[in-house]
Amino acid sequence: MGEVIVITSGKGGVGKTTATANIGTALAALGHKVVMVDTDIGLRNLDVVLGLENRIVYDIVDVTHGNCRLKQALIKDKRFEGLHLLPAAQTKDKTAVNPEQMRELCSELAKQFDYVIIDCPAGIEQGFKNAIAGAEKAIVVTTPEVSAVRDADRIIGLLESAELRDPKLIVNRIRPLMVKKGDMMSMDDIIDILAVNVLGIVPEDEMIVVTTNKGEPAVLDNYSRAGQAYRNMARRITGEEIPLMDLEADTGFMNKLKKLIGFK
Amino acid sequence: MKKAKGSKAKTLFEQKEETDIMTGETPDIQNQVTEEMPAELASILDLEVGETGNRIEFEEGEKVPVPEKLSFKPLVHKDPWQQAFVDENTILIKRTVRSGQSIQFDGNVVVLGDVNPGSEIVASGNIIVMGALRGVVHAGATGNKEATVSAFKLQPTQLRIANHITRAPDGDYLSPDHPETARIKDGIVVIEVYQLGQDRQTKIC
Amino acid sequence: MLEFLLRVFGKNSSSSKNVAKERLRLVLVHDRADVSPQLLEELKEDLIKVISNYMEIDESALEVNLDTSDNMVALVANIPVIRMKRTAKRSEKIG
Ligand SMILES: Nc1ncnc2c1ncn2[C@@H]1O[C@H](COP(=O)(O)OP(=O)(O)OP(=O)(O)O)[C@@H](O)[C@H]1O
Ligand SMILES: [Mg+2]
Repeated sequence: MGEVIVITSGKGGVGKTTATANIGTALAALGHKVVMVDTDIGLRNLDVVLGLENRIVYDIVDVTHGNCRLKQALIKDKRFEGLHLLPAAQTKDKTAVNPEQMRELCSELAKQFDYVIIDCPAGIEQGFKNAIAGAEKAIVVTTPEVSAVRDADRIIGLLESAELRDPKLIVNRIRPLMVKKGDMMSMDDIIDILAVNVLGIVPEDEMIVVTTNKGEPAVLDNYSRAGQAYRNMARRITGEEIPLMDLEADTGFMNKLKKLIGFK
Repeated sequence: MKKAKGSKAKTLFEQKEETDIMTGETPDIQNQVTEEMPAELASILDLEVGETGNRIEFEEGEKVPVPEKLSFKPLVHKDPWQQAFVDENTILIKRTVRSGQSIQFDGNVVVLGDVNPGSEIVASGNIIVMGALRGVVHAGATGNKEATVSAFKLQPTQLRIANHITRAPDGDYLSPDHPETARIKDGIVVIEVYQLGQDRQTKIC
Repeated sequence: MLEFLLRVFGKNSSSSKNVAKERLRLVLVHDRADVSPQLLEELKEDLIKVISNYMEIDESALEVNLDTSDNMVALVANIPVIRMKRTAKRSEKIG
């Protein structure tokens, strides 16, 4: 029986889809059977981030409505044998799926895969309720900004009242130099406020844009710092203990200089 | 109706130009067509019939003369050869079809504009896009293997004809600089340079 | 020495990060309280339980609210007392 994990955030655009694509791919690279489920009906993105958009014939609405068999809608990744995508519908009504159907779908997927990773839409409406309905664990993504952290707090509260306890936090788009200058909240500041456990921290990384352009998750790029962060998270999900990344390493001239002179 | 000025007539292909040369003068035609459409479709689409590519120039305020011949009502022609040209089942979409929009039509679909990624056109007949086709299209959706898909820039995310499905190649590929047509030939979907006046193009599906 | 310079030029207590943190803390106290009217209801019931050990109160008129002013959040309770109880039940508990 696999694990069903929902990746959510409240605020939009903080990196849920990027996290789903990268963690899913990294888990598959570790040899697990993984399915990523896009529940952002009407605004699907996971398919393009993964470069699988041209293979879609059936989607999640077709599955829940019985227009096709589950197997027909699952898209095999072009890179990893064990990686699959269940795409969201783009042109259908977003009320086409309900939480009960999602629960059924997730338990069916959990039978076939080691990890079921659900990409949640932004907001706390129907789409959010659908996305968390079948999940056993939750990952909350935030950025070090007041609005995103506030929304994360709201989401954590909602997850708890939906019996999804102990959600794990991803702090995305950290800029170490700004943190150092005191112009950006650090991971510790955010933990201080939200009081949850951390799954990982991800630096701001231009490679995310480049890899997304190409439809290849950043975890496939050995030089991407964000990719490294997501690879670490995948291993933590499988139970390994990996220390958090030192984001300050190699963050610029000053640090290199400091190392050179022997500070640190 | 102060349309059909010379300047307007030249902008036949501009998508944003919503004016319709014949609208004012032939109201019954418009009604006739809208009635046949599902109400929701009619509201998204600009429906037209008998668009003759009118390039006649008129002075401002001048009434557009409607020739006697153009009383469209019953689309019946005396001779069989005329009947062969008649196609009652085509819609014209004068705008860009955007992500999340889906057009399903029992007949042919002509788009004066682009078809963007994330959108979908499903037609029982042919699909013609006078612009860039980047979304998902399904021609001959009810099983017609003769159906074709043509576009100025044929770069669909996915292209389906009857029960055949093809998809864009992975990775980089050259974007076409000329109109192309996709059709089923010997059991596979092939893409050909669009050829003017070829018999097959004018064939009615 | 470089670190000293960094500290001088960068970190001070009014850095925007600290402002962000402080604002968040305030907004969250309010948000978290706002989230569940049930919580306030539960609090009300608990209050009634405790207070009625000591005095008789008008439960229907009891009001409990969170008040946010500029810089702090306060729990404001308005509890109309009908009369004091002579023998506090507290002794029973102790005994
Ligand atoms: N670590 C990062 N560094 C740089 N850019 C990033 C990083 N993480 C995400 N982004 C960028 O942020 C944007 C939003 O990311 P993404 O689509 O994953 O967010 P989302 O939470 O899924 O959004 P939505 O709420 O709309 O579904 C994307 O353009 C992505 O490339
Ligand atoms: Mg997303």
